[in-house]
Amino acid sequence: MTLAEIAEASGLAARTIRFYIARGLLNGPVKGGRSAAYTPEHLARLERIKRLQSTGHALSDIARILSGPSEDDSEMVPATAWWQHAVADDVVVWVRAGASPWRAKQVRAAVDEFARRIGQAKNSEKE
Amino acid sequence: MSVTESSFAPIAASTGNPLRLAMQRLWLTGQVLPAGGRLVVQHVFRSDEDRPLEVIYCFPLPRDAALRGFRITGAGFTAHSELKQREDAVRAYEQGMADGSLAALALQYGDGLVNLTVGNVRPAETVTVFLEILAGVELRDDGFRFRFPFALAPAYHSKMRASAADAEGEMELPAGEFGDLILPRFRLDASSLHEIGFDLSLLHQLPIDVIGSPSHAIKVKQDTTGPARVALAPAKDVPNRDLILDVRFKESKLQVLAGPSGDGKRSFAAVVPSTLFGQTAGSPRRIVMLLDRSGSMEGEPIAQARKAIEACLAGLSEDDSFGLMAFDDRVEAMHPALVAATREQRECARIFLKNADARGGTELALGVRQAAQMLGGEGDILIITDGQVLGTEKILADARATGIRLSCLGIGSASQDRFLGLLARETGGVSRFVTARERVDLSAVDLFASMGRPVAAGLKAGGNVQPEPPGRVFAGTPVLLYGEVDTHSDDRVELTWDGGSMSIDVPSGDRETGEAVRLLRGSRLITDWESRYPSEKAVAPLEKREQSRVAAQLFELSKMYGLASREMSLVAVVKREGDRPGELPDTRVVPVGMAQDTAFRAYFGGGAKQIVMDSYRPPSDRFFNAVEAAVKARPGATPLFSRAPLFSRSLRQTSSARDVSASNSDLMDLAAMLEPDGGMPGDSLGVRAGRTIAALFTFVAAGHTLTTGAFRLHLTRLATFLKSLSAPSDREARLIETVINAASTGKVPTGPWLILASEPGTQWQQIEEALQ
Repeated sequence: MTLAEIAEASGLAARTIRFYIARGLLNGPVKGGRSAAYTPEHLARLERIKRLQSTGHALSDIARILSGPSEDDSEMVPATAWWQHAVADDVVVWVRAGASPWRAKQVRAAVDEFARRIGQAKNSEKE
Repeated sequence: MSVTESSFAPIAASTGNPLRLAMQRLWLTGQVLPAGGRLVVQHVFRSDEDRPLEVIYCFPLPRDAALRGFRITGAGFTAHSELKQREDAVRAYEQGMADGSLAALALQYGDGLVNLTVGNVRPAETVTVFLEILAGVELRDDGFRFRFPFALAPAYHSKMRASAADAEGEMELPAGEFGDLILPRFRLDASSLHEIGFDLSLLHQLPIDVIGSPSHAIKVKQDTTGPARVALAPAKDVPNRDLILDVRFKESKLQVLAGPSGDGKRSFAAVVPSTLFGQTAGSPRRIVMLLDRSGSMEGEPIAQARKAIEACLAGLSEDDSFGLMAFDDRVEAMHPALVAATREQRECARIFLKNADARGGTELALGVRQAAQMLGGEGDILIITDGQVLGTEKILADARATGIRLSCLGIGSASQDRFLGLLARETGGVSRFVTARERVDLSAVDLFASMGRPVAAGLKAGGNVQPEPPGRVFAGTPVLLYGEVDTHSDDRVELTWDGGSMSIDVPSGDRETGEAVRLLRGSRLITDWESRYPSEKAVAPLEKREQSRVAAQLFELSKMYGLASREMSLVAVVKREGDRPGELPDTRVVPVGMAQDTAFRAYFGGGAKQIVMDSYRPPSDRFFNAVEAAVKARPGATPLFSRAPLFSRSLRQTSSARDVSASNSDLMDLAAMLEPDGGMPGDSLGVRAGRTIAALFTFVAAGHTLTTGAFRLHLTRLATFLKSLSAPSDREARLIETVINAASTGKVPTGPWLILASEPGTQWQQIEEALQ
């Protein structure tokens, strides 16, 4: 496949594919110059990148996922910040920071619900 | 391995070595007129690699902006861009890339974001792109603010993906909404990036009072008649903030820019100051203040925003009602409904603001919806935000649907000026944009004074005016009209409104001005239509029809004015000797500096140690507990209508008892002291009257009157209070009249007015003595 053909097949712009190659997410074409060609493996890789993006992964995460488990995990960016939600006098919920906005929203809604329910439980205990 | 050898090569501050940058220089030139700018941005690209480069530079458009074209130059070649339908432009670019030719493409995306891509820059080759941009300005009665984005701030989107490594943040946006847009990396330290600078000429009709910049050190060259030249004072600067230029004229008058624009037509732009329309009618205000408390507001922006809201609330009377809300990815309200602007409610507001720390995302649409619900169909919303949010077309659609007027005070050094300008204009409101290093509270008070009560409504204009004139005119903000008249038959345009009219003479002008005005009009029309572009790919038949309608309009406007839009793009391909077809270039994205005063961790995570960032409590409990504690702590639990000062502020004493000058901080403190009835506080009516007169004189001495200056609303309230007093004698009645005259004319006798206004025991008689 030419670059134009794999761009059409994957639904990605040719410029985006070049960008992925430059970032090491995708290998370059199997030949150089005018006869540069892309294989079904290239296409499969692009489809996988798109799937991972749709589940909220950033390209830097995807690069790590695609390269497989690293021997030196210390190179991964650790989650070092935490949100602390004191939902009641005797309950604290810790949530790792750095989640995507929609995940953060999901978690916050769950914490809200949790806070509400344990609040109700405490009130009924008092009664 | 080669290094940059050009004379403008940036040097790494840490090592002193030349930096290997794909883009090395960004230089802004061109003309700025009172209606907008016709700008040329020079981008210098260079490859220091051993293979060809494809360089992508991402930038936001200024307000009301459109790209007109570019010229690309290098060793032995110059080429001009062509305007083509988007798909054709991309095809031409890709063909050029496949052929090994030098190719350049400018593609526009949602939110006014642009990717300028230059492909196949050969090793050691320097390529310069001169990009022409038309851009609007933020108008005021007495001048304008010009803003140009040298940086791109990261911004919130509910589906963004963000990561950070090596002091750089990376952000990606959903393809369904932003297509193949590529955002840059946001570098914490901008000093190692490309250099920026500017050299602009300012064309003006009215005599210039002052040209200043709150963002950059500038040098100004100006004579009495010709254009003024404004340039960056240091040799170069770093790309971490917008350029902001403030131009103030010595007088506030009608300005008409005009000139032949072909086909026997004359294009014109008229800037009509609000003062030419009359005075505001005095009706009670209904206002919801909507504070952005998202993470990106952390630090100085939210501190400034709090002060701004406090200052605005002091401008409300007891007849007015207000609501106060804060939003991040949820919305909290001080009270579920509007409340009267009493002293107690202002105190509640102060406590609410104190607890509103920066956190979370920027769900602006949610905040606007809830604020509109609180108003119930009538009133104004004042949004105080950094505007660092993406997906703004959807927010604009939601805001239009509410039918409520929105006014925006933007705070930021590299923010969405384009979006906030549109949000206010599309809903009939007013916008101002300031940096966190300016007096945000002053701008807020000024903007607040414009809200609620228009000076004119029902505007209609002849002269093929397009876009349509705004429905209402607000004090402090002029009306900008773009139109066209027949060169030989018309030299006058009629402007009418409910209860008034005026004729605007259109001068012959020159061809250059005529063309600039025509392009600015096109750029404004394209921006308006682009703001209606559906944010995501349409699915439902109705949405599809709307998308097709907007696309067709943009296509026509692009063709008519020769300006790019989301439907038509600019492309150039240069065939050079020795082009090698099929060679895969290395794609590089030009990084940008993290916007000044924007916290890196607000988008890209925090430091290395475990930190506690928030504590959760159901908001209502936390808030009302705080209010309860504050009320309990107040000595004497004051009755509702007592006259104790609202906030326990003390004014700085001036060094001399005769020193009448007051700083802006003094004025702000004085403004915050106003009681809900408009008078100054005091134990007796005599003291209140005395301090009110002294306060009024203080504002007038500082250049504010009933109709001009940021504190005009406060002056009106002080004057209203004085008028409401029953003067015990003719002598005192005459004194009140003198004071009110002073507030109208701006002429004030010298005296220690600030001291007298701040003294808790100032009596009526002391004012008379000071006048003698």
